[in-house]
Amino acid sequence: MTSEASLIEAAKKGSVTAFTELVRNHREGLLRFLLTRSSSFADAEDALQDTLINAYRYLHSYDSRWRFSTWLYRIAINNVARLKSVDTVELGDLGDEESDPLRHCIAASDRENLWQCARRRLSDEVYTAMWLRYAEDMSVNDISAVLERSISWTKVNLLRGRKTLDAELNKNATDDKSKAYG
Amino acid sequence: MDKLANQLRDDAEKIECTISSELDERIQASLQGIKPDPRQRPRRESKSFAFWWASSLTGVAATFVIIAVVNLQAPEPVPAPAAATLPPPVLPTIRWQAETAVLTSPLEQEIENLQSDLKKAEDAVRQDIDRLF
Repeated sequence: MTSEASLIEAAKKGSVTAFTELVRNHREGLLRFLLTRSSSFADAEDALQDTLINAYRYLHSYDSRWRFSTWLYRIAINNVARLKSVDTVELGDLGDEESDPLRHCIAASDRENLWQCARRRLSDEVYTAMWLRYAEDMSVNDISAVLERSISWTKVNLLRGRKTLDAELNKNATDDKSKAYG
Repeated sequence: MDKLANQLRDDAEKIECTISSELDERIQASLQGIKPDPRQRPRRESKSFAFWWASSLTGVAATFVIIAVVNLQAPEPVPAPAAATLPPPVLPTIRWQAETAVLTSPLEQEIENLQSDLKKAEDAVRQDIDRLF
């Protein structure tokens, strides 16, 4: 199996095949993340395309002290921020819209998906920190590198995000109990 | 793994999305069309000792020239201050009606309680953070 380092070296020399292989395992995770942060499915796909193109174009600036996925997410977040500034649409307001891409990508369930709730209740940065931690299983150090924040900021805001979602989860559980008992 | 973390992970997995073949082709076509930017940051060449020596000497010489020019200029006559024609401004007097607050023991006790509460809250947050991450 070809190692990540050798794929990076080959891609730096201009091998599209090596680059495609390098990002193969990250593409779906990136698209899922971008989907939760974009106003439409098409925007998320465009953001993914831009992310991969920028990653390929500027691969020479990749610092091997970072994990490759961390670097990719940094580029993705920059792309989302750029899209957001162009659209000037508040993403938090899209939660209940028919066009919300997240709504169409979540299998029918008897309860609301926590990430939809997170998008309504958390700020963009805290949401991203929570996503990287719990959906991507990133370490606190990597998250702070992606967000360009201090480790203590990351820890405190992860804790805040947890507390907010915990409260929401408990509230939903209480509501369900109330309904059950009439 | 706690309940919230499990639920967040499960819910993230419930977001179904796949890379369509159309998107895949689009990305491939875009990648074929561009070349990676091979530019590295140009390294700055270190200057020689003579360069730094010469620039220091130039700086010192320029300083001396400026000092000399400033000191050789004839002093301009300073105009005499105009006679004070305006009456001195009258400042309004403000009667402060303030009294020194005397801290009584209940207030001091209150401050101690508040500080103690603050300390407890801080400790609780620290414990939460240490436990979770």
